[in-house]
Amino acid sequence: MSVGNSLYLVAPEIILSASGLLLLLIGAWGGFKSARLVSILAVTALFASSAVALEFLLNPAFAEGGDAFFGQYRLDKFGSLTKLLIYISAIVSIIIAPRFFDNVAGGRSAVMRPEYPVLIVFAAIGMGMMVSAVDLMTLYIGLELNSLAAYVLASFLRNDERSAEAGLKYFVLGGLASGILLFGMSLLYGFTGTTNFNAINQAFESGLSTGALFGLIFVLAGMAFKISAVPFHMWTPDVYEGAPTPVTTFFATAPKVAALALTMRLAIEAFGSQIAAWQQIIIFIALASIVVGAAGAIGQTNIKRLLAYSSINNVGFILIGLAAANQAGASAMLVYLMIYVAMTLGSFVAVLDLRDADGNQVEEISSLAGLSKSRPGLAAAIAIFMFSLAGIPPLFGFWGKFLVFEAAVQADLILLAALGIAASVIGAFYYLKVIKVMYFDESADVVVKSDSKSHAVIIALCALFVSPLGYLLIPVLGNIADQAAAALFWAL
Amino acid sequence: MAIKLIVFLPLLAAIIAGLGNRALGNIPAKVITTGALFVSCALSWPIFLSFLGGDTQAFVVPVLDWVRSGDLNFNWALSVDTLTAVMLVVVTTVSALVHLYSWGYMDEDPDQPRFFAYLSLFTFAMLMLVTADNLVQMFFGWEGVGLASYLLIGFWFKKPSANAAAIKAFVVNRVGDLGFMLGIFGTFLVFGTVSIPEILAAAPAMAGSTIGFLGMRFDTMTILCLLLFIGAMGKSAQLGLHTWLPDAMEGPTPVSALIHAATMVTAGVFMVCRLSPMFETSETALAVVTFVGAATALFAATVGLVQTDIKRVIAYSTCSQLGYMFFATGVGAYGAAMFHLFTHAFFKALLFLGAGSVIHAMHHEQDMRYYGGLKKEIPLTFWAMLAGTLAITGVGIIHIGAIPALGFAGFFSKDAIIEAAYASGTEMGSIAFFVGVTAALLTSFYSWRLMFLTFWGKPRWIESEHIQHSVHKTPETAEDSTGGYHPHESPLTMLIPLGVLAMGAIFAGFVFHHAFIDAEQGAAFWNGSIAFDEHLMHAIHEVPYWVKLSSTFAMLIGLGTAFYMYMRGEGRPQALANQFRGLYQFFFNKWYFDELYDLIFVKPAFWFGRLFWKRGDQQTIDRFGPDGAATLVSYGSKVAGRLQTGYLYSYALVMLLGLVAAITWVMVR
Amino acid sequence: MIQVFTFYLFAVLLIASGAFTIFSRNPVHSVLWLILAFFNAAGLMVLVGAEFIAMLLVIVYVGAVAVLFLFVVMMLDIDFAELRAGFMKNVPLGILLAIVFVMELIFGIGAYQAGKIELADTPVNPAREGATNIEAVGELLYTKYIFLFETAGIILLVAMVGAIVLTNRKRAGVRPQNVSEQVARRPEDATRNMQPEVGKGVEL
Repeated sequence: MSVGNSLYLVAPEIILSASGLLLLLIGAWGGFKSARLVSILAVTALFASSAVALEFLLNPAFAEGGDAFFGQYRLDKFGSLTKLLIYISAIVSIIIAPRFFDNVAGGRSAVMRPEYPVLIVFAAIGMGMMVSAVDLMTLYIGLELNSLAAYVLASFLRNDERSAEAGLKYFVLGGLASGILLFGMSLLYGFTGTTNFNAINQAFESGLSTGALFGLIFVLAGMAFKISAVPFHMWTPDVYEGAPTPVTTFFATAPKVAALALTMRLAIEAFGSQIAAWQQIIIFIALASIVVGAAGAIGQTNIKRLLAYSSINNVGFILIGLAAANQAGASAMLVYLMIYVAMTLGSFVAVLDLRDADGNQVEEISSLAGLSKSRPGLAAAIAIFMFSLAGIPPLFGFWGKFLVFEAAVQADLILLAALGIAASVIGAFYYLKVIKVMYFDESADVVVKSDSKSHAVIIALCALFVSPLGYLLIPVLGNIADQAAAALFWAL
Repeated sequence: MAIKLIVFLPLLAAIIAGLGNRALGNIPAKVITTGALFVSCALSWPIFLSFLGGDTQAFVVPVLDWVRSGDLNFNWALSVDTLTAVMLVVVTTVSALVHLYSWGYMDEDPDQPRFFAYLSLFTFAMLMLVTADNLVQMFFGWEGVGLASYLLIGFWFKKPSANAAAIKAFVVNRVGDLGFMLGIFGTFLVFGTVSIPEILAAAPAMAGSTIGFLGMRFDTMTILCLLLFIGAMGKSAQLGLHTWLPDAMEGPTPVSALIHAATMVTAGVFMVCRLSPMFETSETALAVVTFVGAATALFAATVGLVQTDIKRVIAYSTCSQLGYMFFATGVGAYGAAMFHLFTHAFFKALLFLGAGSVIHAMHHEQDMRYYGGLKKEIPLTFWAMLAGTLAITGVGIIHIGAIPALGFAGFFSKDAIIEAAYASGTEMGSIAFFVGVTAALLTSFYSWRLMFLTFWGKPRWIESEHIQHSVHKTPETAEDSTGGYHPHESPLTMLIPLGVLAMGAIFAGFVFHHAFIDAEQGAAFWNGSIAFDEHLMHAIHEVPYWVKLSSTFAMLIGLGTAFYMYMRGEGRPQALANQFRGLYQFFFNKWYFDELYDLIFVKPAFWFGRLFWKRGDQQTIDRFGPDGAATLVSYGSKVAGRLQTGYLYSYALVMLLGLVAAITWVMVR
Repeated sequence: MIQVFTFYLFAVLLIASGAFTIFSRNPVHSVLWLILAFFNAAGLMVLVGAEFIAMLLVIVYVGAVAVLFLFVVMMLDIDFAELRAGFMKNVPLGILLAIVFVMELIFGIGAYQAGKIELADTPVNPAREGATNIEAVGELLYTKYIFLFETAGIILLVAMVGAIVLTNRKRAGVRPQNVSEQVARRPEDATRNMQPEVGKGVEL
């Protein structure tokens, strides 16, 4: 294993690192004026990395994948697929940012700053490392790189109290979670003598000591914080609401994908020989997330907060696939993640497109009243996203839910599937409430027309993907997801 | 091929007119449906005549495979034999004439395409019923006519009374249909097939076998026949399940003529005749049929005596005549029953259409008390009604020596039934005979009462609210009892059917009585399609003269009484009614059947319904089901909202609590 | 023997001082407890033979980070009068801590002299025979863990960028010194030669 080969396998990270450093220099010298250039270059770099990830994903020469840097990092289809999702989310988060920052607070104080795309790029590096990590150290480094960038991004509008508060809360609780994770990792290292996933798995095959079990639980708890699963979800609504909307878009998609993928890899590759130790906990977390996500969303009046609970709810459904602990479950999770990313990107960009006559963001659900008349296209798109999030057929969101439940049934977790399906009914309530407000309530006439073509294109693409037309993609997506899921299980 | 056209043309017309509806327009819809029916009618008569001539054998035309499921196999096929051929001409002829009649009668209605589509749909369903070669197909037709009947009774759905009547007809028929269904299931259970020819072939061998139910042994065939007969009772409005028929008069009058006089209500009689070999195997069943038929004949006639609504009088008359048909089948005179069905179709349709013409002339007034003196105003309708009345009361002369019997249609058929009842020699038959003669007297009385009140006497029109509306006067302001109202004769489209049916009412009996009920000719004509009893038909001719003349005497007494009561002096009916107040009320209120049913069935059903609705559904299922879940969710939402305090330390606490809980769980597990 | 005793001493003190860091109501005390915790951690590192890391802990964490914390704490809005008033009250604590430090130093050095504790059965990354601590760490960092090491560098960079993004702003009303401008300033720009006529140039 030469260093050269290793460097080749981490090409997406290298591209992004080099670009990030370069962009930082441009930003430092160019000042605010360079924000546009930096954004364009950042998007270009992300596209380049996506291209490399796509090449790794589709080129048969990389079908086997490969270990880099003495088994700290693995290139496989699972990592490439999730990286692709992460990069796409990052690209969208950069594209939608300038309009938001240039108009924030009526354009009074802040403007788009070059640090924003740079931080997103650095976060993307961290997430890329997370999904490819096969060593606890890689995991932690990637996670922290992502988290640090995220803390800064959350309070990016430092003059906005809510944004600053969001950043601080995220930072403190993130620090706590990081400590829990680190403690768990040190326990694992102490009791198995290794930080490598496969080696941990092998050590577990001969039995699980109490210390290692503690370590396992602590590590999973740390991960649960990142994916905002109940009861580690408390930060989510506050941070999603307070953070600038493009940042929330980013939070709801890319880090979720990365953390979920990392949790999957950790659970299967590192703890795969002790499924019984964590399966019940995952089941509980999944159900609790579904129920709390649904119940919490009902009383919300802020659409970003509502979407935060919605993401908690969806994470619960995705975790059902993990609870199944089989290849079908992993594949279902990946398909669900793809659909989830599209739905979430679409809904947040749609929220971003809601502005009143003064150019302020509209975030109150009651202000959406009569949107079907003032902006029929946008209302239709939001309706599609809401129906899809609720998992109502024939929209694509139903397919993801169907797959995870199918996997759960295959794994004889019929009760889990039944409870999940029952709880999804609760979730349908608040999604439908948004639609009801848009289509049936007395018009509030708050939202004005938007002239943003990029928003329209992104919303249209996402809506098209989750519309029934998405079912045409099932053979392709299903095949890729199956291959990626198989990559997780090769060691077992 | 012809038979397929006969059956499916009405369906095609119904679909076109029904789907086209107002887009199609009135005239095209009417032309298509009426044209289709006349073609069907024109194709039916040759089939009937060829059976009459004896040069056609029964045949079956398969349409398509219907059910192939285990032991249950049957096709959708059109079976044609003599019995079917008789029904074909009755159904298509009356239906075609009613279609034509409706051109005039429904002229001002805004929903004509819908009406004609329903009529054609009904005809199709009726044809399905009569051409069925298995019980399931017969049931399909049976339900189809029920549906069409429901739709047509409630045709003026904006009238609450019409809706109520439609629902009543549907619900009461369900009771009968349940019996019919159980009969079909039982038949399949016993015979292993639903094919009518196979069942009839196997029926005699089954006589005397028993079946166990709830620990008791019952005669198999009796049970099956009684269940099937319950179905027939529902459809043919026999005593007990008759209550829907008078109410069904809420429908347009052509509907009453077609469905509730000539065709659908006779489906029960047809079914019993079709399955006559089955009924022949159970004396008990036949006795029940005879009893129910006779009781209905008497009951309906008594109620008909005192009704004032012209259509209701005829409706009870129909009910009564159906009773005749049933006791004819009960005593084994299936040919006579079918003959009466055949003639009755003509004269009863004629009476209904005539009544419709009167109603049309009298500005939708249906109460006979406000008629009078219409003979000169609407003479053509009068003559047609007179022909119908002569037919139903059975006017004619029995054959003496070389002079053949002469008379109107009802004379031949009804006398044959009464004589057969006597000739059957059974105890039930004798009862039926006396009841039949009494009912003939009553029939004569109420029929002539109708005629006298309507066409003779002085006009009493101004008492009618409808007429008052029309002439804008009240009895006080009007100069005379006509109120200046001028009844007008109906248009040609209504008079032509009256004329044709009058021909039928006059000649149908004389022309066809040999074929239908003569011992030798009848056997050849029916050709095994019904259980034709030659001995009984012979015996008819051997009955004493007083028996032969009894019905004629009864008719004359009824006529005389009616003449005495309504033509000679005022107030006699009123005085009689006052004298026998209790009996009058009893008849007038239809023997209190509706009230009784309301008390026994409707009220308890409502009580149970309310119990389940309030206690069962709302207070138990809803409370612990949907409503309870919704309350729980909103409560959970509040709890979740309260936990979300916004304080960092509480968030961290929840995280750590979760961690501790997880650790505890894996430790104690 | 001395190693075991020393280990438990350091470990207990480490945990205790960590707890005091949290529970102390006075932020200055907290920082002091934190410094003690760092020291004890360094002691533990010495015990396992990682004297380089021990030195790093003392120099970087105690010398830089903890002192920086102290500065920050001083800048917080704290009632110093109250703190000063309690100065004499803090003396016993200070003396106690000083004694503990001395004791620990003695024990630590003593234990180090007795050799390090053996941990896992086989070290994951056995050091080259005869390499010093710094050499071994350096060799691993720049070969096997180069990827993680460089990424860790990026993490620090992000932290720095974040700090700048969140705090650096242009303040209105302040006049920062612009050295290059000052240096580039020429006499011609700053002075004016005038030749006032006699009796003019002075306005009274």
